[in-house]
Amino acid sequence: MLDLDICIELLKECKCIPEADVQEICFKAQELLMEEGNVQLVDTPVVICGDIHGQLHDLLTLFRAGGDCPDSKYLFLGDFVDRGFYSLESFLLLLCYKVRYPDRIALVRGNHESRQITQVYGFYDECLRKYGSANVWRYCCEVFDYLSLGALVGNSSGGVFCVHGGLSPDIESIKQIKLIDRKKEVPHEGAMCDLLWSDPDDVPGWAISPRGAGFLFGKMEVDKFLHENNISLIARAHQLVMEGYKEWFDGGLVTVWSAPNYCYRCGNVAAVLKIDDNLNREYKIFEATIQDANAIPSKKPVTDYFL
Amino acid sequence: MISQSIAITKPAGGYIKPVRRVLSPDDLNKWIGSLSYTQVVDFVEQLSLAVKGKENDAPCNVSESVNQILHILDKVGDIIELHPVIQDKETSRFGKIEFRDFYDEITLKSNDLLLGISDLGPLIDSTQDPRIELCVYFNESWGNRTRIDYGSGHELNFICFLLCLKNLNILNLDWDATAIVLKIFIKYLSVMRILQKKYWLEPAGSHGVWGLDDYHFLPFLFGASQLSLHKHLKPKSIHDKDYIEMFENKYMYFHCIAFINDVKTASLRWHSPMLDDISGVKTWKKVAEGMVKMYKGEVLNRLPIIQHFFFGNIIKAPEGVSKNRVTKYDYESDHKNRLPGGHIHTWGDCCGIKIPSAIAASEMLKKKEGHRIPFD
Repeated sequence: MLDLDICIELLKECKCIPEADVQEICFKAQELLMEEGNVQLVDTPVVICGDIHGQLHDLLTLFRAGGDCPDSKYLFLGDFVDRGFYSLESFLLLLCYKVRYPDRIALVRGNHESRQITQVYGFYDECLRKYGSANVWRYCCEVFDYLSLGALVGNSSGGVFCVHGGLSPDIESIKQIKLIDRKKEVPHEGAMCDLLWSDPDDVPGWAISPRGAGFLFGKMEVDKFLHENNISLIARAHQLVMEGYKEWFDGGLVTVWSAPNYCYRCGNVAAVLKIDDNLNREYKIFEATIQDANAIPSKKPVTDYFL
Repeated sequence: MISQSIAITKPAGGYIKPVRRVLSPDDLNKWIGSLSYTQVVDFVEQLSLAVKGKENDAPCNVSESVNQILHILDKVGDIIELHPVIQDKETSRFGKIEFRDFYDEITLKSNDLLLGISDLGPLIDSTQDPRIELCVYFNESWGNRTRIDYGSGHELNFICFLLCLKNLNILNLDWDATAIVLKIFIKYLSVMRILQKKYWLEPAGSHGVWGLDDYHFLPFLFGASQLSLHKHLKPKSIHDKDYIEMFENKYMYFHCIAFINDVKTASLRWHSPMLDDISGVKTWKKVAEGMVKMYKGEVLNRLPIIQHFFFGNIIKAPEGVSKNRVTKYDYESDHKNRLPGGHIHTWGDCCGIKIPSAIAASEMLKKKEGHRIPFD
């Protein structure tokens, strides 16, 4: 029988959990996420978090900065996996919280929560190295398909629209997002793709993204979207910001980044955004954990190339 | 020494502007079975063999062409000097935007820079000019202008530039192979280190801790070959600070470890588990053999990298692969390359062509789209 509290404690200690438990956690999370809308409604107060990228130690610091789950309510804007050492443990920890305290944590899909991207940027390799097979990667990918595409914080007018990447030329109102069939791999183009891939930039209207997916969008599009949807802010993640967060377009949009010293080298700080009941914004900055030299992870046999 | 003034058969169809041709898994399979693939692999393997057991400063034959290429790399270094990073201008972003000015100047000048290779002159006439092919590989060698990033795909372009010179008989592996690595490649690496540190180049397509390295692959491959006859140094020596200090200027592998230790925090085991795993291999010989297999598996056989590989008439496209399809990404970067200084195209107005709406524009592009795997 799966004991979530034990799993949570193990994961916090960066320990692998048995494959059968991973499967069960993923299955239970999937059942919950399935019932959620494409755009989740989230009450205030809430802590909004950006990219994590498998930096589990820093995720634990984040929970100290924002208050423990379930005492504080959390909204994560995706990119839980890839690049960091503990993508699997980070994602599973969030899933365990979701299953254990469904109303205290909301998870939105990032562009890295995709089969194609995780096969390129590390999560697949990590699962293979840790479990010797791609099974746990497959279970996680099934969950990715059920993550919602966005969230709306605060029911009253002037709320905050939250998404991983940004806007889409195919989407004028939040209502339109609700019509997307999201339960699939992230497509190469179209509204669902753009929401997960786009970036703000100083451009008039729309421009081509150098990423090769999504668009660049400017102040005009943001102002239009804010007005059309009667909201005061777009909160998104998706781009490293050295200061942890960056407000754009007279405060109409903010990038929140929650992976400090990204990839052990960028030297950036991280941030989370607290939205209170009056929709006031408070940014909490935190720095990378200095890793305990004694807690060095176990060595693994080399990949086939070197046998 | 044999005279290098060998008559070159100009390729049928002349020289052409190289284009990307590998767009699908099916194309990728054709690429892996192609003559060009074999040429690239053979080239890398022969270069690796040429530095087996040799330190960076081991004596080697340096031909006129090699010297001229080194001189071109010096000039690239000079161009970097002309574009200092203006501090505090854009601190939010990791990559420094002045890299684009450097890149534009390289693009502007590369055609002339390559004239520094004297054996190239006789190959150029009013109807034929191999520089149309060489410049593409050369320009791509320094990273991506728009994204301000660099990765093993860009490094591969530099190898292709050298392979083209070999195919044009300007470089000859019989007497240039060692110098290609110990002189040219090491100088290229030192230029890249300046670019990476100065402009904070972002790692292109980085696997984070799950990749071999943020930027490079070949210095590990060549470096392991350099060490493969060493009597005392073992792969596990990379964990020893004293050894790193002692050997970082003698062997590329140790240079790479020193660079990583310099730019990253925490221990190697945290930020580079792959290198840590490889340090458990018994001999450098095994590491060197594995590096070639890994280079194929992780670079040459990977669609996200090879979808950006350029084919012309010196390095030919595999038979039966997709026709070049213009994607919105290429469209953007090609337009930018034509306009040094760059400007941002929007769908409202692109190079003076009015485009009515984003929707129309995206519809238009859908027809051309090749669905390349995007950059995260």
